[in-house]
Amino acid sequence: MTDQRFSDERYQLTDEKAALALDVLRQRLNRQLEASLEVCVRCGLCAESCHYYVANPKPEHVPAYRAEQLRKVYRHLFDPMGKAAPGWVGAAELDQEMIDKLMMAAFGTCTMCGRCVLNCPMGVDTRQIIRTARAMLTAIDMTPEGLKATVNVHLQDGNNMGVGEEDYVETVQWMEEELQAELDDPNVKIPFNKKGARVVYTFNPREVKYFPYLIQAAAKVFNAASEDWTLSTESWDATNYGLFNGDDSAARQIAANLEGAVNHLGAETLVMAECGHGYRSQRWEGENWVGHRYPFRVMSFVELQALYIKEKRFKLDPSVNNERVTYHDPCNQARSGGIIDEPRYVLRHVTTDFVEMTPHGAENFCCGGGGGMLSMSEFSKERIAAGKVKADQITATGAKIVVTSCHNCLDQLDEIKRHYKLPVKIQNLSELTAAAIIWEKK
Amino acid sequence: MTFLEITHIFALIGLATGLVGILARINEILHRPYKQDLARPRGNVRRGVVYAFTLGMAPWEKESTREHWVAYIRGILFHVGIFTAFAVLLASPWLDLLPAWVKWIGLAITGAGAVFGFAGIAMRLRGPNERVLSLPDDYFSVFLTSLFITLAFIVLLVPAWLPLFYIVTGVMGAYIPISKIRHCVYFFYSKFFFGSGFGRRGVIGQAKSEYSE
Repeated sequence: MTDQRFSDERYQLTDEKAALALDVLRQRLNRQLEASLEVCVRCGLCAESCHYYVANPKPEHVPAYRAEQLRKVYRHLFDPMGKAAPGWVGAAELDQEMIDKLMMAAFGTCTMCGRCVLNCPMGVDTRQIIRTARAMLTAIDMTPEGLKATVNVHLQDGNNMGVGEEDYVETVQWMEEELQAELDDPNVKIPFNKKGARVVYTFNPREVKYFPYLIQAAAKVFNAASEDWTLSTESWDATNYGLFNGDDSAARQIAANLEGAVNHLGAETLVMAECGHGYRSQRWEGENWVGHRYPFRVMSFVELQALYIKEKRFKLDPSVNNERVTYHDPCNQARSGGIIDEPRYVLRHVTTDFVEMTPHGAENFCCGGGGGMLSMSEFSKERIAAGKVKADQITATGAKIVVTSCHNCLDQLDEIKRHYKLPVKIQNLSELTAAAIIWEKK
Repeated sequence: MTFLEITHIFALIGLATGLVGILARINEILHRPYKQDLARPRGNVRRGVVYAFTLGMAPWEKESTREHWVAYIRGILFHVGIFTAFAVLLASPWLDLLPAWVKWIGLAITGAGAVFGFAGIAMRLRGPNERVLSLPDDYFSVFLTSLFITLAFIVLLVPAWLPLFYIVTGVMGAYIPISKIRHCVYFFYSKFFFGSGFGRRGVIGQAKSEYSE
């Protein structure tokens, strides 16, 4: 491999690896993928929809260019003209040079945010094409190290940061005590493994390890709403990096673990923590991965907060959040999940000065932290450079607080803030909701 | 048999070849597995599909087409020109019977379509991204189709050019399934999947939610 970041032997293509990667393409070629591979007319209108391109406008950053790398392989394999006149129709063999290009296109410069999909006049699903390329590379052990390790740790330890059950339980209990002390209310509880609870709640392991105050915020919301809720010790990690490495069998296993935990507790609703890809994985992809419908409903904590406010389950004092606030839509939650109005509904009730970014909602720009990018340190430089688009969006709002509802976004926004020296605070939605709740002892 | 009749048959053979190729392509995609979505819908799938094929194609609906409205409108008019050229092809044995106002409308549309078709080649050559993205087949396909529209325009004025129109039609017809022109088949699949996917998730084409302002 010419790129020194991938000089390790496992990134060298062999005949066996090439055959295996092509098999993956053959297996995954369904109607949706074929339509997307065939329909692109290479008009290039998708260019400015990509934050990588806007930050660094070069042809390699045009979404159609990235997808074209896999198309070349596809044409060589499936198109008679690809064999007869490869130069004429842009067909190419899967050789080392093509692997290098696929690595950069699929892992290095695409967060699979889907903004180009929404902006394509032909309806090309570049997300699906890129995820297929990632699946091919993962099948031949060419996943970047950090992403590979994240999935492996999750499969091995039950969560992606290898948090042990004792640490998990102790951290939650500590937060329960803190919350009881803060509210001067011993009735506040964070229940574990409560059979028959209506709601099972999940966490991103980062909350347990680095941001335990978010556990406290969620617990305050649930207790204020008098929700019948519980945590599980069997499976509690909301994340699923199988979405990012393209490995459906790993994604299936992770989704099934969470499904099993909810089924064993007999809950009617699984609530995903404020984790964009975790929500998308379990809500939209999980049932397709496991191959059946869950016997329970899956929803985001963002949706639940909006529902509680609509049902007036607690009183709010928005004046405690009186600084100017803007909201960053996580791609996996808004564009790939339809959760657009709910966070705004919450913010209008828990803050006094909410302003929108331009653009926002389904058309919002990716912050650069999606697609598992934060786990792939090989591409940090490109990731931070692409974050310039988001930095400019934030600056234009004049906001003091940037709210989001996704941990990868939270981390990327924090890096953007430091790198571009933005005078803002980055917070999760539930932090603001929890702060605005007027506590009433039950 | 006259030269005109020979070229007429050539056009029919070319179009028939193209049709067989297109049917083979449709047969191929229909034999691929269809990925059923098991996730519970959040939005209305039908509304998403209708949006994808109607309002979703309006130039103001997407950021990309708002920013590149010249390129987008050019493309739209080019395609309107193609459809009109096919209408001219269908009417070609009876061109003398067409009312003058129909001919004038046909001339306006095919004239614009031809200009915008060739302009597409120029835009591909001028744009740095488009130049990198474009394949030889892209240039040839747009050229061939633009030539087809140009000849439709010419035969409306000078029916003596019909033989050349038929020859180009035959070549283009046979070329459709093996070139990028076949996107005309996949467009309907792609737009359907786009509309149903984003519609199901409540992202496009939906009524206002209970949380919207």
